[in-house]
Amino acid sequence: MSTTVVDRGVWSPRRLFGDVLLPRATTLALWAWVVFNLALVGWVGLQSLKESGEVWISPFGFPDSPQWSNYATAWKAAGFSSAALNSTVLTLLGSFLIVALAAPAAYVLARSTRRVAGPLTGYFAMGMSIPLQTVVIPIVVIKLSVSSFMIDWVTGWWDNRITLLVFQVVLSLPFTVFVLTGYLRSLPTEIEEAAELDGAGPLRTFLQVVLPLAKPAMTTVLVLNVIGLWNETLLALLITPLPEERTLPAALLSLYGSMQYSSDWGALFAGITILVYPMIVLYLWLGRRIVEGMTAGIGK
Amino acid sequence: MGTSTLAPGPVGEAERPAPAAPGPYETKRGKLRPARERAFWPFLLPALLGYTVLFVLPALYGFWVSLNKWAGPGSDMEWKGLANYTALLENDAFRTSFVNTFVLALGGGVAVFGFTFLSMVVLRQAKGRGFIRSVVFLPMIISLIAVGAAIGFLLNPNGAVNTVFGWLGLDPQPWLGPDMVFRCVIGGLVWSSTGFYVALMMSAADSIPPYLYEDAKLIGATRWEQFRYITLPLTWDVFAVCAVLWVVNSLKVFEIVIAFTTAGTPGSPPLQARTVAVQQFLSVTNNGGAPDLGSAAAMGVFVLIVTTVLVWLTRRITRRERVELS
Repeated sequence: MSTTVVDRGVWSPRRLFGDVLLPRATTLALWAWVVFNLALVGWVGLQSLKESGEVWISPFGFPDSPQWSNYATAWKAAGFSSAALNSTVLTLLGSFLIVALAAPAAYVLARSTRRVAGPLTGYFAMGMSIPLQTVVIPIVVIKLSVSSFMIDWVTGWWDNRITLLVFQVVLSLPFTVFVLTGYLRSLPTEIEEAAELDGAGPLRTFLQVVLPLAKPAMTTVLVLNVIGLWNETLLALLITPLPEERTLPAALLSLYGSMQYSSDWGALFAGITILVYPMIVLYLWLGRRIVEGMTAGIGK
Repeated sequence: MGTSTLAPGPVGEAERPAPAAPGPYETKRGKLRPARERAFWPFLLPALLGYTVLFVLPALYGFWVSLNKWAGPGSDMEWKGLANYTALLENDAFRTSFVNTFVLALGGGVAVFGFTFLSMVVLRQAKGRGFIRSVVFLPMIISLIAVGAAIGFLLNPNGAVNTVFGWLGLDPQPWLGPDMVFRCVIGGLVWSSTGFYVALMMSAADSIPPYLYEDAKLIGATRWEQFRYITLPLTWDVFAVCAVLWVVNSLKVFEIVIAFTTAGTPGSPPLQARTVAVQQFLSVTNNGGAPDLGSAAAMGVFVLIVTTVLVWLTRRITRRERVELS
């Protein structure tokens, strides 16, 4: 018994470690991490408003006078205007298409009593574990064949951005179907049945009853896909290599690659800001929901 | 509490859907089924076809390409059997990239989950924990290319980090040089992904009833012991899922390597920093001559095999009796 008494002493090594040292050190580290993240985001913004020399000489100071021209440089010279347009269109259209395809499929998978529904759900989930590397080569082959086929035989022109859009949509389907199926399964069926009794067809039930009910989950997967597509790089580099086809990450990469010749560091940071800040705004706006959505399909 | 069956693991356990309330009344097919049953195929087919034709079939086609020598559409395919695979195993560049990927998955994994577990010791009751959790998650939504460019600036030979080193009387380091850049890549990756796993694990820990911790405190358990004997066992299923996710994600690391190696070194990333994904990308894009698609496809199949094996191993290691509150 006496040992336990000693053990419960405030300064026993065990207590010192488990109640004082470890928690305090971890808390300190966590706050340092928080400060670092916030500082990094703010610092990128500040750097983007400095002259190129200033970027190097006082990397942690405030800009003397805000150089908005950096944005003009990145926008015009480095091709960020077309890249921003490409990224915006591809991201918004892509995310919309993903949800438009995945939501009806997830709905019937979640609700159907057919025997195939279970295996099909698993079939979609399987896609989440096929690494992108396994399909990259076929995708490159398809991209080349489709563009030459369309140009030679069908339309006389082709835009690789369409190919990029299609594959970004298809590759995001497994995750989206998986998350939405899980969510829709948790919804009560009574309201749908009432709608059906009132004579609503399946499409109408889906559009006017199920979608509004599932709005939180729809928003979440939409936002997750927006983030995913906005930052997607590998496919964009492989499918759309031409400057006018580039998306923002690819444009930033090429601007960064040219830094050793041009050294326009202010413009580089303006480019980083153009790529990062829209997602930060989205996160500030819908942050809690994003985290919940990313963790919902998996954690609970 | 988490149920491990929800794991999106490659094993792909298909859950049987809970029977929707009034099932089909087993008479003639379609007669009394709910209307939504009639919509089954029309609703499902667009996604199913797109997924099958443009994702699953290409993956299978990749297997076929990996058994051939091929420079792409328009040139002849030459059957090589498994020669692409054996050639890869003897190829130094590929072997290095393979080992690198492995080191990254293992070393990065230890760091990511080490930090995650430590955070879980304090995050349950720390002041401002909601704030900490959301800010720690933030890097997850930032493009790794942007991260690489910004951090790359700090790590530049004349960059801020070396300046600070100078003040402290330390020698400047070639952070982005061939020998050190891969460690910086792993560090950057750990920094950017740990928040995601913290969010996952904490959302599981949130559902542990507080009275357990109160009881533990009464019998004198330290914070560490509370984590070790309450939080960890009760979140272990979610940890198993997280570990699988980490393995799958770490095997396809690509952007951050490209971003970290773009500035200092013109051309392609140095051998010491290549992952399999990078190596594959290089073999498709700038190999000089005709791309060797067969070999590149074989790398993709390798990644799939390694993913499967590692995921299986991870599941075995994390498997144990479920602890559940009754």
